[in-house]
Amino acid sequence: MRPRAPVGDDGPAAGGAAPWVFLAPLLIFAFVFFVLPLGFSVWLSFTRWNPLGTPSWVGLRQFEYLLTRDDAFWRTILNTFVFAFGFVAIGVPLALVLAFAFSRAKGKAIWRQVYYLPQLTNIVAIAYLWQFVLDDRDGLINRGLAAIGLRGPDWLTDPTMAMISVVLVMIWYDAGKNMLIFSAALEAVDQEIYDAATLDGAGAWRTLRSVTLPIIRPAFTFATITSFITGMGFFSLILAMTGGGPRGATEVTALYTYRMAFEDLRMGRASAGALILFVIIGLLSLLQFRALRERAR
Amino acid sequence: MLHQRTAALALGLAVGTPMAAIAQDAPLTVAMHYTQEQAAPLLACLDAYDADGVTATYQQISYRDYLQTVLTGRLGGQSPDIYNVYSIWAAQMVDNGVLDTPPDTVSEFVSETYSAGTVDAVTIDGTAWGVPTEISAYMLVSNMALLREAGYESPPTTWDGLREVAEAVTTRNDQGRIETAGFAFADSSSGAGFVHPFYALLYSEGARPYADDFSEANLDTPEAETALGQMAGLVQDGITDLSVDAYDFPAGGIGMMIMANWLESEIRAGFGDSFEDDVVVSQIPAGEDWRTLQYAFFMGVDSASDRKEEAWELVRYLNAPRDGGPSCIGEMLAGLGALTANTADNAAMDAPDAFTAPYLAALEEDRAISQPNVMQAAEIEGMMAQTFERALAGDAEPGPALETLDGKVEDILFEFY
Amino acid sequence: MTVSDPVVAGETAEIAANRRLLSGGTLRRQAGGVLKYVLLTLGAGLMILPFADMFIGALRGPADVYANPPRYLPAEPQWGVYARVFAELPMGRWFANSVIVTFLITAAQVATSVTAGYALAKYEFRGRAAIFRLVVGAQMFPFFLFIIPIFFILRFVPLMGGNDIAGQGGSGLLGTYAALCLPFLVTWYGVFLMRQFFLAIPDDLMEAARLDGANEYRIFRSIMLPLVKPAIATLTLFSFVYHWNEFIWTMTVTRSAPELQTLPVGIYLLSGAFESLDQKSLQQAALAVSILPVIVVFLALQRLFVASDFASGVK
Repeated sequence: MRPRAPVGDDGPAAGGAAPWVFLAPLLIFAFVFFVLPLGFSVWLSFTRWNPLGTPSWVGLRQFEYLLTRDDAFWRTILNTFVFAFGFVAIGVPLALVLAFAFSRAKGKAIWRQVYYLPQLTNIVAIAYLWQFVLDDRDGLINRGLAAIGLRGPDWLTDPTMAMISVVLVMIWYDAGKNMLIFSAALEAVDQEIYDAATLDGAGAWRTLRSVTLPIIRPAFTFATITSFITGMGFFSLILAMTGGGPRGATEVTALYTYRMAFEDLRMGRASAGALILFVIIGLLSLLQFRALRERAR
Repeated sequence: MLHQRTAALALGLAVGTPMAAIAQDAPLTVAMHYTQEQAAPLLACLDAYDADGVTATYQQISYRDYLQTVLTGRLGGQSPDIYNVYSIWAAQMVDNGVLDTPPDTVSEFVSETYSAGTVDAVTIDGTAWGVPTEISAYMLVSNMALLREAGYESPPTTWDGLREVAEAVTTRNDQGRIETAGFAFADSSSGAGFVHPFYALLYSEGARPYADDFSEANLDTPEAETALGQMAGLVQDGITDLSVDAYDFPAGGIGMMIMANWLESEIRAGFGDSFEDDVVVSQIPAGEDWRTLQYAFFMGVDSASDRKEEAWELVRYLNAPRDGGPSCIGEMLAGLGALTANTADNAAMDAPDAFTAPYLAALEEDRAISQPNVMQAAEIEGMMAQTFERALAGDAEPGPALETLDGKVEDILFEFY
Repeated sequence: MTVSDPVVAGETAEIAANRRLLSGGTLRRQAGGVLKYVLLTLGAGLMILPFADMFIGALRGPADVYANPPRYLPAEPQWGVYARVFAELPMGRWFANSVIVTFLITAAQVATSVTAGYALAKYEFRGRAAIFRLVVGAQMFPFFLFIIPIFFILRFVPLMGGNDIAGQGGSGLLGTYAALCLPFLVTWYGVFLMRQFFLAIPDDLMEAARLDGANEYRIFRSIMLPLVKPAIATLTLFSFVYHWNEFIWTMTVTRSAPELQTLPVGIYLLSGAFESLDQKSLQQAALAVSILPVIVVFLALQRLFVASDFASGVK
């Protein structure tokens, strides 16, 4: 224990045991539900374990199998990228546009509430709602298109369309969240800055580019990276909406490893798969973070 | 009040109240996939059951999630006492020691009461692991109203005939989307809608998916290619497509499907009064030497149950005839339009209706061959379903797709056999 | 990292007048404004469409679904379906479980985030930087990575749920509310968010209180805590929404413990029983029942959640 900081000193104080008391729950949690599981997971990935029996050490065999022999694994990695990339590339800018539109709109509170509705709905319900709406033959959308003489796409039975559908539904679901983050950032921008810019004769477009965007850049970085991490690891929507189908077209790696673990009881291989995915996510997030920081300079 | 409850809960949380483990005097749990409504006759039996203080209760686990739920529950040490096991799940459960070996009294009961073919379906490594309950088989089910409209008075008996009839029945709307489908596959989450008809066609070709000792898979054979080619041809030649679903048959928009008998009650609900006239069950359309698939469920006891003896007693009670009437399980299955191989029950009940009779005949004529009880069957059949669906959609040629599949399946067999 | 000024001032009358002058503009701009509202309205329609589809679908009866082709608008709306939802499905239990679990987790997350965030923002001690790095870094670890190991950690807790001292033999903490809550007691993001808020509060307040002889815990409780109420409201909303809708973990640990299943899990697992056509309307009615309460609660409480509170966490 360090002595208490002298009174009147600038900056945070030592506070004796207090910080450790305040931090105790976090530290215990960090050990039991972060460090321990990670270690366990790494160990498991070197084993072959059907959990009704006992684990056997197989070294790097699980990684070798996944990386060199399992085509399905690579396909799921690709699907994961498509899903996460589509989600971020469309979802984040869309949320920004919405936030921007609302910030100057009449009745912005109501707009925000409507666009936030999906966030309040559980993901299983969302998956099923859209299953009904997107049904090839009897869904609302294809019925509507048929009424004006158009053949709607096979939203959930065509592999390409199914991926597009889950990405769009994910964007629909999550737009409200990022919208709120951007709204918050926009509200925090002092109105006087805008007014100053306007008085200086800056047009709307220039104001947007040179005043608004730089100020909300941190929020943009935050939203992009968190959305990317979410997208790479998200599978509950897909599980309930397409179950990974049709023909594996929407099977993402997280879902693939989950099934491997709890349906096929291959805990070792599933842990290895999850770790590989995590390493990919980690590296890409760091790269993104760097890139977004660079541009900020 | 809310506060009290919250406090009690928080307390429970703190000491980690072991909900499942205080179950010493709790009723025996019977876990089946039938809904409460479907299982009503069985529920009545369970409610009334009281053998020297041992009572029973029902747990529904949906069919789609049954194996996963059982295994996950087992991992967590929370299991029901009595299972109703689909035979293809059994190998994995036996291999992992989930199932208890039946006592002699139960084994005798099974061999006395059930036909030999059905006892085979629940036998793994020479042991019958429980009491057979529901038997299902696949046949061609036709909506004769649609077939007659297209000019056909009876269902086809060959695959070429099926293609002809299906093509004649299919109608499309202005956008080219199928309105009435001549034939449809069932779009089930387990993939059974593709895999089960494939087995029926493969068996009709006189082939089997595995060598007898499961040392190798026979999925890259010409017979397998023929069977899959027949299915894929329907989609490739535009006779049907994958956006139609055999589960829409009750709504009247499907001409034919290769389907199990258990859909009867729903077809009845959809057709109403015209059911007797319009729904016809007939042979698998594969010529005179047609064969089909049968599979069985059986009731087994969890090897970790703390009251195995009592559990087996309950299993026996539920499947034994009551005072000349059918058993509890028999009564429930009859209500579902399901088949049973319980000879006492079949003797005690009325003759089957016109829908069910062809299924029973297929079983009696030994045309219905068991689904293979192979290790990791659920995983393997998931892979099969994906391969078949790819071939149907035209993403892969049947031949090369089956070759790849055969290799992957043999990888799995290699782990176990 | 800066935090928004808690008293973002409204614009002065003068500046407002200027704005009006400058923006009272051209025809083109007005047309753009109309277009904006048209687009926003279309978007709003898209947000509501699936919900409307659900309410209509719930009212279809067998006559509608067994028609060929099936009817979209029910010929005779079957209002009785909502009574069936409660009669045939354990809605009450799922609902109660959802409330209990979400309530416990949210309370725990707020408590741990506030205390830890405060310690990290307001105290100087050895290891602070390392712990903060942990908090930031741990946010990068997606939850799917933890499903398998935490499942077995809870399964093998010694002396719980019939386990022996080596963690064998019983079911551990699986099948208890603890299994549903424990893995979520701390939210790294929440800790991070609260730290940012506390950083914005000047240290002078603490120093003054110390001079008055208040101890550390009292300072925290009576002085600092009230100042971050808006942040607590924000975090509460985030936690509540997330855990009310959480599905994968809860399903994994309650598959064989139906008495602990929550709304999303119950609805998901029952969908296997909903394959029959005439059950679809029952499924849609069940979805409606699972969705409505949250929306009602949110709309009732939404004044508590001010958008600008979200800002400080992400700067």
